[in-house]
Amino acid sequence: MKLKQLILLPALLALVSCDGLFGGLYDEPAENPFGFVQRDDDGRGGTLRIDATSYTRWTYIDLQHRHIDTANITLGQEAPLEWDFAIHHYDVKTHDGTAAESPFDNVDMAMELEGLVFVADADSQVVIDMSTMMEGYLGYTPSPVNPVLSRWLDVDLSTMPPIYTPSNKVYLLRLSDGTLVALQFTSYMDESLLKGIVTLRYRIINDQT
Amino acid sequence: MKHTLLALLTLLSALSLPAQNTTADTLQAKSRLLNMVVVTATRTPKLIMEVPVVTRVITEQDIKAADASSVQELLQTELPGIEFSYAMNQQVSLNMQGFGGNSVLFLVDGERLAGETLDNIDYSRLSLDAVQRIEIIKGAASSLYGSNAVGGVVNIITHTPEKPWSLNLGARTSSLGEGHYNGTLGIANGRWNSLSELQFKHADAVHLADTGDLRTIFAHRSFNAKEKVRFKASDRLVFTGRAGYFFRQREKSSEASDRYRDFSAGIKGDLDLGTESDLMMSYAFDQYDKSDYATASGLDVRNYSNVQHTFRSLFNHSFLTPSDTSAVLGTLTLGGDVMRDYLMSYQFTDGSHTQYTADAFAQWDWQPSSRLNIVAALRYDYYSEASASHLSPKINLLYKFSETNLRASYANGFRAPTLKEMYMNFDMANIFIIYGNPDLRPEMSDNLNASVEWSHSHYNLTCMAFLNHVSNRITTFWNQERNGMLYSNMRPLNITGLDLSASARWDNGLGVRLSYIFSHESLTDGGMRASSTRPHSATLHIDYARQWSWGRTTLALNGRVLSAVTCDEYTSYSNPTQTEEITYPGYTLWRFTLGHHFDGGWALAVTVDNLFDYRPDYYYSNSPATIGRTLSVGLSLDVDQCFGDGKEK
Repeated sequence: MKLKQLILLPALLALVSCDGLFGGLYDEPAENPFGFVQRDDDGRGGTLRIDATSYTRWTYIDLQHRHIDTANITLGQEAPLEWDFAIHHYDVKTHDGTAAESPFDNVDMAMELEGLVFVADADSQVVIDMSTMMEGYLGYTPSPVNPVLSRWLDVDLSTMPPIYTPSNKVYLLRLSDGTLVALQFTSYMDESLLKGIVTLRYRIINDQT
Repeated sequence: MKHTLLALLTLLSALSLPAQNTTADTLQAKSRLLNMVVVTATRTPKLIMEVPVVTRVITEQDIKAADASSVQELLQTELPGIEFSYAMNQQVSLNMQGFGGNSVLFLVDGERLAGETLDNIDYSRLSLDAVQRIEIIKGAASSLYGSNAVGGVVNIITHTPEKPWSLNLGARTSSLGEGHYNGTLGIANGRWNSLSELQFKHADAVHLADTGDLRTIFAHRSFNAKEKVRFKASDRLVFTGRAGYFFRQREKSSEASDRYRDFSAGIKGDLDLGTESDLMMSYAFDQYDKSDYATASGLDVRNYSNVQHTFRSLFNHSFLTPSDTSAVLGTLTLGGDVMRDYLMSYQFTDGSHTQYTADAFAQWDWQPSSRLNIVAALRYDYYSEASASHLSPKINLLYKFSETNLRASYANGFRAPTLKEMYMNFDMANIFIIYGNPDLRPEMSDNLNASVEWSHSHYNLTCMAFLNHVSNRITTFWNQERNGMLYSNMRPLNITGLDLSASARWDNGLGVRLSYIFSHESLTDGGMRASSTRPHSATLHIDYARQWSWGRTTLALNGRVLSAVTCDEYTSYSNPTQTEEITYPGYTLWRFTLGHHFDGGWALAVTVDNLFDYRPDYYYSNSPATIGRTLSVGLSLDVDQCFGDGKEK
């Protein structure tokens, strides 16, 4: 290598690598289609992806009509007329339904079982303002919550960052008309690890409509 | 604990009988110390005893004796007043006598490292496998090194191969499930020489406790590859090229891992201009990336990239004494750097920012007599995005008489606001937003220190008093108007203290070094005790070496003693009047290493760490992440010695 080339080498490297090299090593962030993102062949089940990143929003899911609606809590928006269950961040409530934890590990295997204890929603509260956490308290608003379904994810806020532990359980949700639905929450974040993106599998076991 | 310590000291005493070759070893060690050349204090080679700034050197022999697996472990073992602990999200955080990771400049062969996490560089990039020595300067050094050298400089200097070939292979494992495998190949052939390093490390997760600030240390693994090639183009011109790749992954959960990568390269030319002058010009590239790896999807998404391009030049000219042309009257050093600093970060809402920096400096190293040395320097730095410019002066004095060195110095340090501190807009888990502040002023420090060093026969004693006046320190405060955390400048604070060190090495092969630091940190106008710097810390090192007909045995006992510290911490971020007093307990950790270098190139090291089985009652973030006594065993082979005369390098 000639001396001139040796001197030119750093200048060349600096020119071609101004903002860095090897971008090809990395993937692009995942695209997030929300809603009923997949439907089983028989039409009785599928996959839902919900943007639950906001603490001020309930997302209402109507399985029968495959429809999703949202309502902002702090703006006082009302729930829609037709809905089966709703998600607020990682909280879950039902529309006059009950829920039980099942021994199944896959919604496709789920079926009606004797002996399960179905639990109705209870008066509770949900967080709507995290900004006061460092003051030692959070901003809550009263709301019914289903205590069984809301156990799908344990969030331990005593350390930073919080520790998230999914139960990976299949839950059975009995709607107010008697329809039995199996629900399995499969993720609390998207493929790029953005938290608050809830993915769940559902399957209607016993349609009473 | 007392019994174990007594037993170890008895063992060391029993072994410290007069032995063959130990006198020669001691003389060799003393000669090595007296002839040791350091470069960090003045950016020119000088004998350590003739440097007007107290420079602590950790030699290759010290590194071997300490059997440390990382730079963090080594620095904590060798120096008091240095504490590496965990910050939020288990990121490593440095405190060196009241200065954090962003105020202590780490260099590898004089080059800066790109990237940071919570104000600290990625210390796991710093491999010890091919280190020739580490030079540490405590106190400001911005007049030579610019921004970040507010509290000190740690310069890691690697080997330059001299033998036709050398190959070292090493493996080490510990009872904590750690593994460390390395290979270093050195080649010297006529005008070329090359140094190649490969290193792979892994560690299992360590569960500390079910409650506490620290609970489980994440499992991690890293890979480090480096190449350095030196080409002597002529008797006067030498080129050095280098390239490196680093990868680290830590298993944060079963769903996600954090990945860290670094790509580095550089080329340097050293030209001897004759007539007592030399010129160095260099270009350095360093890119540090962070990415989130999702286990389920396999997506590896980059969310941080810091890319630095640095051009540097350094010119030295020595002036000879008119009456004696073999004596140097003084050395003039002129230098300058230009750097482009690009940062893309998940903590920005607007993608990326770029900053250009430029500096020029001059230093006059004057030797008016054989007893007196005066070094004065001035540096000008300019930062484009911060619109900041700064003049950093220093003056160092050394007066030698009898067996005593008196040193005194004043040095100015500064740290320009970083791109992160100026432009951050980061939503902290929906809890609060941290805002950058483009109006930040540069951090500054004025460092005064005075020291006495006395050396006689086998003994060396150093006593240094220091005062650091730090103004405009940059940190985050709650801002009521913006309802979030805002980077702001702090009120001035003083860090004062004493640094004592005593060492001895006797002809029977026994060596002892005791170091102690007292450090006191206070805001100049009173206020809360915000500092978690421990006021007292000490290290004790006892080693013994003995040459046998079948090899050389070394024993080393290293202890660290850190006092408790009480400070006030905010209980409310938005109300600065709400604080509580918290005391972090003191602790002591000891490690014992038995090493043997067999004739033929094999070396074995067995280390018992945390000898007295210390476990914190509660794991604070600054508690040692230990679960008690651990054992590690390392084996290394100098392959070239298998084919050579079997003597140690």
